[in-house]
Amino acid sequence: MIPSRKDLPMLAALVPATFVIVAPFLWLIISSLKTEAEIGVGDPFALPDALMWQNYVDAWSVGGFADLIGNSLINVAGVVLLMLLTCVPAGYALSKIRFPGREWIFYAFIFGLTIPVQAIIIPLYQVLTGLGLINSLTGIVLAQVSNGIPFGIFLMRSFFLGVPNELTEAARIDGANHFQILTQVFLPLSMPAMQALVIISALSTWNDFFLPLVVLISPDVQTLPLGLVRFASTYTTSYRLVFSGTVITFLPVIILFILTQRRFTEGLTQGALKG
Amino acid sequence: MKTNGLMKSTAMLAALAGAAFAVPATVQAQNLVVWGSDLQADPLVNELWQEIKTRFEEANPGVTIEYMPPTGNISDGAVQAAIQSEAGPDVLLTNSGIGRVTIVANAKLVQPLTAQYEELGWKDKIYPWLYEQLSTQFNGEIYEVPDGVDAIAIWYHKDMFEENGWSLEGGWADFTATLDAIKAAGVEPIAVGIRNCCNGGHLIGNFLQAAAGPQMMGEVVAGEVPWTDPAVVAGAQNLVDSVKAGHINPQMTSLDQDAAIRLWANKRAAIFFGGPWFINNVRQLDYDLANLGYATIPSDLDDGSRPTGGVGWSWMVPVSSKQPELAMKWIDFMLSEEIMMLRAEHQTSSQLMARDLPDVEPVVPVMGEVFAAAAEGVGYNPSVYIPGSALDTYYQVIGGLVGGQVSPEDGLAQIEAKMGD
Amino acid sequence: MASKSAIPERVGEAAHAPPTAVRTEDDPTRDSYGTAFALLAPAIALYAVFSLLPIVATVGISFTNSGGFNTEAQFVGLDNYVRASEDPIVWQSLLRTFLWLFYHVVLAGGLGLVLALAVSSLARGKVFFRTTLFLPHLVSLAVVGVIWANIYDPFYGLLNTLLASLNLSHLAQGWLSDPFLVLFSVNVASSWQGFGLYMLLFIAGLQNVDPTLYDAAEVDGASAWQKLIHVTLPGLREVLTFVVSLAMINGLKGFATVFVMTNGGPFYASEIITTYIYRMAFQAQDHGLAAVLCIMMSVLAITITVTFNRWRARGAT
Repeated sequence: MIPSRKDLPMLAALVPATFVIVAPFLWLIISSLKTEAEIGVGDPFALPDALMWQNYVDAWSVGGFADLIGNSLINVAGVVLLMLLTCVPAGYALSKIRFPGREWIFYAFIFGLTIPVQAIIIPLYQVLTGLGLINSLTGIVLAQVSNGIPFGIFLMRSFFLGVPNELTEAARIDGANHFQILTQVFLPLSMPAMQALVIISALSTWNDFFLPLVVLISPDVQTLPLGLVRFASTYTTSYRLVFSGTVITFLPVIILFILTQRRFTEGLTQGALKG
Repeated sequence: MKTNGLMKSTAMLAALAGAAFAVPATVQAQNLVVWGSDLQADPLVNELWQEIKTRFEEANPGVTIEYMPPTGNISDGAVQAAIQSEAGPDVLLTNSGIGRVTIVANAKLVQPLTAQYEELGWKDKIYPWLYEQLSTQFNGEIYEVPDGVDAIAIWYHKDMFEENGWSLEGGWADFTATLDAIKAAGVEPIAVGIRNCCNGGHLIGNFLQAAAGPQMMGEVVAGEVPWTDPAVVAGAQNLVDSVKAGHINPQMTSLDQDAAIRLWANKRAAIFFGGPWFINNVRQLDYDLANLGYATIPSDLDDGSRPTGGVGWSWMVPVSSKQPELAMKWIDFMLSEEIMMLRAEHQTSSQLMARDLPDVEPVVPVMGEVFAAAAEGVGYNPSVYIPGSALDTYYQVIGGLVGGQVSPEDGLAQIEAKMGD
Repeated sequence: MASKSAIPERVGEAAHAPPTAVRTEDDPTRDSYGTAFALLAPAIALYAVFSLLPIVATVGISFTNSGGFNTEAQFVGLDNYVRASEDPIVWQSLLRTFLWLFYHVVLAGGLGLVLALAVSSLARGKVFFRTTLFLPHLVSLAVVGVIWANIYDPFYGLLNTLLASLNLSHLAQGWLSDPFLVLFSVNVASSWQGFGLYMLLFIAGLQNVDPTLYDAAEVDGASAWQKLIHVTLPGLREVLTFVVSLAMINGLKGFATVFVMTNGGPFYASEIITTYIYRMAFQAQDHGLAAVLCIMMSVLAITITVTFNRWRARGAT
């Protein structure tokens, strides 16, 4: 990539700024390949004598990262699937079907958009306990989906409102019912909105900490961020493990993002601006 | 409870099916989920607990012990969360003391064990003074069975102190002079991890006792003498003065206990206040145990210079325990001579057991020094004696004293205000 | 659930209708009500059980002395509200929450805006910078807490060792121990994670600014600064209000970094409303007081949302 001459003054400011912003990543990755003694010297510019890949092997086995990643994947898959199954039909119903009380139901959902999950955590915990869903991935998925539904419905509804009514009418004259219109006409049309919904719910679920902290108690059901915090507080005496464990948690997402960055960025921006 | 019974029978069925090949059909297969020692991540400690598991399973055919790694303690809410979940332990070992036990007892998360103290003779299996303390805390109800008694004092590097001619003998002035000398040598005099509860308490407990004496501290934590008594304030003032003199770096407020231990083990700090559990922490860091020195805090009072302590860890039975009877058996087993001696003479032994074991020969020599220091009895570690309502404030005030955010008078008054709740 | 047998009925019905009366989706028939309900049912069911019910129950709990999940609770009237109003830490944590919001809007929102302007001005390399600068947003806030706790570590951390190796040791601070710095330090970590999304939104907003306005300004001989003030920022107005409200709501929900890095300390210096709720609900088991805090938090969130929606609506007309 050859920089344009016109860009040079801006690049002179932007390149150092970018370096500072990614510096924590670089420092972590370099430190994660050092021995405990090298970290103990505390010189951020020093490179490791030999690359300690062993740190990763140790962190992986000690921290149980395979399980944590597995749990996180199940968690994300569950949330994304349920979000699509609930929000797409609901968004359609609230935009393309006229029925008494429609506005009411919509406002009830919008109300949820303003209530942070921290503010309902005590009874939410009781509900989950009552249903036997505490300490289970099912429980966390249902709670997260319920928390995400207001946004998802808002997003899908705004998108469907933008689809001309003529399309629905034409389909109805052809004798199609709402289910058929939704699945055959609207689903293919709404790929961008669904893509946004998938990306936003996947990212927020993957990174969620508060609900897992409260709901997922035993280590065998915990998700990655929670597992890492537990790992970091158990092994504070071993910085090499904490550093390599941390890199394990963020590297896969970063690689996935770089590979899909255009779609990812589009989905995220569109979704956020609509929602 | 209906669901509980159902759960139990389902669990039994599942366990039976799984164990059908291993045990004779006449023996009922049962699982006991034990929230065990937080040190079990250490292979040596784990070895000991695997041995205990084997022996218990031998003594109780059909029973399988399943250790659940602790995710925290009562102070950080992890124990409460685990008990409330369906996947909680059947019996648990955790940092205790009345303050912490109050929290789980008042929330009805743990069962009273008072009957077992009588029926199973537990009251004669722990130190009489310990039983005396426990039996007067909750109007006669007892919710915990002590596993070990703490003895918190100073840990230092023998070689470092020898080379520099530093000593922990004498009175308070000698102590501050030593700390000055350590500071002048470019080493952090005292490492302490204040961020996550307990270690700040170990530090201030020693400082307060050195100034007010163990007897008065006993009355303070029992709510009979106010925290704002001049003698106690003087102890807190000593702490604040130590911060001002550079003996305690205020940045220690952002460290947790493990980070402080790491600082000490790397010899960037000279002194750490802790109990014998500290031995295991530094062993994991490959610290040379022969270099471990243990000393009580210097004091101008006759009896001010002794370890602080009290119940360090206790066994409790959650109300959600699916195996309450088996849990009692387990606790009974832990109190047996066999297991007590096994643990006391193991190389990872790091506590005073809950009753006197005159014949014990510790494997790690420095444990001998701990026993000697504690021979005249241990003082009071406020963390395990003050009510739950005051505990959180107590920890926050310690941070405030070291961070210079609150004066000794105000800080202690804030603790005092919470004592009555 | 509406069954498939509904289809022929509907078709038949339509056939009997007079040919001029073309059915449209505006027709509120019972059948479309049933269909709508069927489509909405899964969302409503989940939302009612796991969101609406807890919202109502929180209000209920705030009037009781619930001391834990297993205890019997009694009605105590406004007791918890009185206790909350008398608890200095409640007020301090509320004040700190506002400070936290302010930091987040300025640090994360500001950084997002500045970087968006910089990246958008590039002729080449937009995608590279946009992608690279977005990376921190992919990291969970809890993990960010772990990372930055290590950056701030007074003895081994990146920041103080960096300053030491640049012979700037006198600038080294107790980033997480100084009561005046701690909330800011933690917020820097939080904002490092947060600015990426705001930056993307601003970049998207900048693409929508009418390019002819720049040409017109160019003709008028406007400087770069004047163009920014008179063309760019007014063009961004809608995105700007949106980002500010989003940043405030995200800030209000801030929890993980504080919880992981300082747990509210030292001496409550970084206690915000969410960490205090967690402390009261799950550590002290004081559910009554925690519920009052929850209600305060909801009121705050609703106020912010409504205010900004009004502002946005006014800006649009």
